[in-house]
Formats: sequence, C-alpha cells, structure tokens
Amino acid sequence: MSKIIMHIDFNSFFASVEQQANPFLRGKAIAVGGKSKDSVDIARAHLENHRYDIENSLQLERTVVTTASREAKARGIKTAMSSIEAKRICPDLILIPGDPHKYSKITNTFLKILRRHCDAVEQFSTDEAFTDITIAAGDYFGAVMLAQLIRSDIKKECGVACTASIGIAPNKIVAKLASESVKPSGLTSVMPDEVEDFVQTKALQDVCGIGPRIEKRLNAMGISSMTSLKETTLEKLVAEFKSYAHFLYSVSRGLGDDHIDDQDAPPKSIGHSYTYPYDLTESADIKKHLLALADRVAWRMRRKGFIGTNLSVYVRYKGFGSMGVQKKYREPMEDGLQIYKNSWHLIDQIRDPNIPIRLLGISMSGLLATRMPSALFPKDKKMHQILNALDLIQSKFGSGAWQRAATVGSIFKERTSGWHYDHEG
Amino acid sequence: MHQLLNDPIDVIVDFSERRARPRRVRWDNKIYDMTSVNLIHGAREGEKRIFYFSVSDNLNYMKLRLDTENLEWRLVEIYSE
Repeated sequence: MSKIIMHIDFNSFFASVEQQANPFLRGKAIAVGGKSKDSVDIARAHLENHRYDIENSLQLERTVVTTASREAKARGIKTAMSSIEAKRICPDLILIPGDPHKYSKITNTFLKILRRHCDAVEQFSTDEAFTDITIAAGDYFGAVMLAQLIRSDIKKECGVACTASIGIAPNKIVAKLASESVKPSGLTSVMPDEVEDFVQTKALQDVCGIGPRIEKRLNAMGISSMTSLKETTLEKLVAEFKSYAHFLYSVSRGLGDDHIDDQDAPPKSIGHSYTYPYDLTESADIKKHLLALADRVAWRMRRKGFIGTNLSVYVRYKGFGSMGVQKKYREPMEDGLQIYKNSWHLIDQIRDPNIPIRLLGISMSGLLATRMPSALFPKDKKMHQILNALDLIQSKFGSGAWQRAATVGSIFKERTSGWHYDHEG
Repeated sequence: MHQLLNDPIDVIVDFSERRARPRRVRWDNKIYDMTSVNLIHGAREGEKRIFYFSVSDNLNYMKLRLDTENLEWRLVEIYSE
C-alpha cells in the first residue's frame, strides 16, 4: 500500500504573521523587507533608544522584498524585488522591517500542531513541512478531514491571518506540487491513480528541483513540458544530466520519495555565511569580518557541545562568481581565533584580490560531541579557560555580549528569510 | 504613524487560564484600553526571558516588551491609522 503524504505550506508567511500581529495591516498591500546596509534590526532597535519612523524610513527604501502579502502580490509585487521598484509599482505599499522572533514563534506553533496530528513530520523550511499521515488518516477521505482539522488548528493557534495551502499525494514531490496548485488556502488531494495525469498538467519549473538552469538544458534537448519529459528515454537524460536524470525520469511519471525524515539528528556541520551590505575590498576589512564570522561559528559549535576538524571556507565575489575551499585538520578546533587563522590561510592563497567580495562563509564539519582535550602547554590551557569564561558571559547575557576589539564594526543583522532562524542556531 | 521606539509604560494585565493579557496601557500621559491580543512571542537575551505582546484597540496597534527579570514594560512599536 502506498503512503499518504501531506505537504503544508504557509501563504505569504512573514507578511501574514505581520498582519496577524497588527490587524490594521490586514487587507493591505504590505511587504516584509530584508536586511540591507541601513536596514532596521528590529531585535536590537530598542537597545539604541531612539525612534525610527518606519513610514518614512529611508532605511527600508533601500531593502528588498522578502515576502509580499497576497494583496501586494495581486498588484505585482514579487519576492526579491527591490523596495524602490516595489514602491514604483505599488505606491501605497507598506514596508515592514522583518522580525524573526515573531516568525519563529509561529513556525514552532505550526510544527507542534503537525506533531499532534501526524505520524511523522519533516520540516522543509521555516513555513512548510512534509508529513506522513498514512496511519493517522487511514485513507484519502480521512486525509482530507485531517487537513481540515490542521487548518482549523492553525487558525485557532497561529491566528486568523495565518493561512496555509495543503497538498495530499502518495509522495513528497507530488504533494508539494499539489499544495502549490491552489493558493491561498488551497487543499488539493491527488490519489495514486490520478498522479500521472496530474503531473502532466504542470509546467517544468513548477517541480521542486527543476530551476531555470535545468529547464534551459531540457529545452535545448527539445523538452518543453512534463509530457515531452516523460516521452524522453532514461538513456538520453543520463547522457545530459548524469545521476540527476533518474530524478527527472521519475518525476515525469509522478514517482518520488515518500520517506519522511522525522529524526532530530545531530548536525553534520555548523556554519554561517553572511552577505555584506557593501563590497569588501581591503584585506584588513576582509580579515575583520572573517574573524567575527569565525567567532560566531566557534561559539555556536561550543554551545552545542561540539569541536570540529574539517574547515570549509566560501567566498562569493561581486558579480556572483564564487570559490570554496576545504581542509581536514589533525587537531580539532573550538576557538574562533584558530578557525579564523586557518580560514584566512585557505582563502588568501586562492582568492582573486582584484575582485571585491560580497559574501563570506565558514563551516565546520567532522564534528565530535566532546570538549577539547586538555592542553599540554600553559598558554593553550589559559586560552581554554578564557573561552570557558567568555562562554559563560554569552550564556548569561546573550550571543554577542562580547566581541574582540579587532572585530568592532562587524555587525550581523538577523536574516529574515531562509531555512532556519539565526537566533535559534 | 508607524514608529519603533523604546518608551517606559505602565500596563494593567489580566491573568486567566495561565495566560497574561495586557488590558490597559498608559503611555505619554494617555490611557489606551486594549481590545485584542493578536500575538504573543518570546525571545531570549542570554538567561533573560523577554515577552512581546502585539495588542490593539480600535485605532492603534502596539507591541509591548516585558522584561521578566525586572518586570519592566516598554512600548517598542506603535502603528496608528
């Protein structure tokens, strides 16, 4: 017997949460802004103790739209549009600074509701999840009833402004296609014998896993629809796409993964990447931000009780070229300064100093759930004790309670989009 | 008007069904009777637990910040039609 998989996806998530918090925004075209050079960090705004006039805020004028309300979408506002462009299209658009703490509260409530009703839950992003409801629902009629129950609980516990689209199907890929078929507040059920026909009604780019680049390559092969994809032989697809061909071949037949990964598995890596609001050109500036980033990764690693041996550093240049480099070390690391020194050593050898940098990323893997072995030398022992003391300070007063003098001026604004919330990392 | 601020306020709160509901806010020498609690969310600042209450009356939306360490209330956001 095939499984019954449900995909639940919030509609205009961040904007809906803002409309839930502030009822005067309901029914209006609003957009949640992302972080930018001058954007307001709402989690820290009160610390600065002065007033921001959001309505006439120049800061928000220079941001991008991370989420538009359904009213704004109806007027042509799209995700990633610059706020200047958005205001030109919709002059009465209300721009709101993002508030990740508010959104994470709704994400957690949403996941609690799903865990109450479903056999297994796999969070897919901050506002969507796959669930296995084979036993809980019994059949597709039961699945539709369960979906209505979940929708009712979302309304009750997250708020009336929070709505979700739901798709029910025998696997994840078709369940997601189904939930995206009707927005907002859709409920689409695709039974096993309807799957093949349903998939054929979709465009190539509707499928999660077929982006503009893959579509372009498919088009070059003469494949422009799901029907023509289905008619293409596996051999022909393998010749062009190698192992990815199997996914394309399966999806055109409505076949896909039905395993819901409900394990709260330990992390395989801990890292952080940050897009800077201006180009980094000077070595001293790059070093400052790299050290701040290394301290952030090291603290997150220590807070979760890990040390790591494998270091990856990633750089994205202005103009969106990029490079990454990895190295495995014999000695594990837990100190930001050590991670920074190794990171700089890695990227300085291969980066092009003539191209400004827009993004830096550091990731530690080869994680071991243990504390650092006792140091032999007094200098290292002392550093270990200092780190312990600094960790106590951050545990008591919050992340960022201390920073090295060398990193003053390097500020991380919490991101308002993505898969996870920075403050929960 | 839509502002972020950090003004001290006085708040009268109802406690029922293990939940706190801000009912009346005094800010800038004016009294606001809140008719709706739209969202409550928390945040951690180290060991300190902070609660934010998004409340509204017929004309105003307010975001109130409660510091549970010193029980201090602040008005951190206001939106008026």
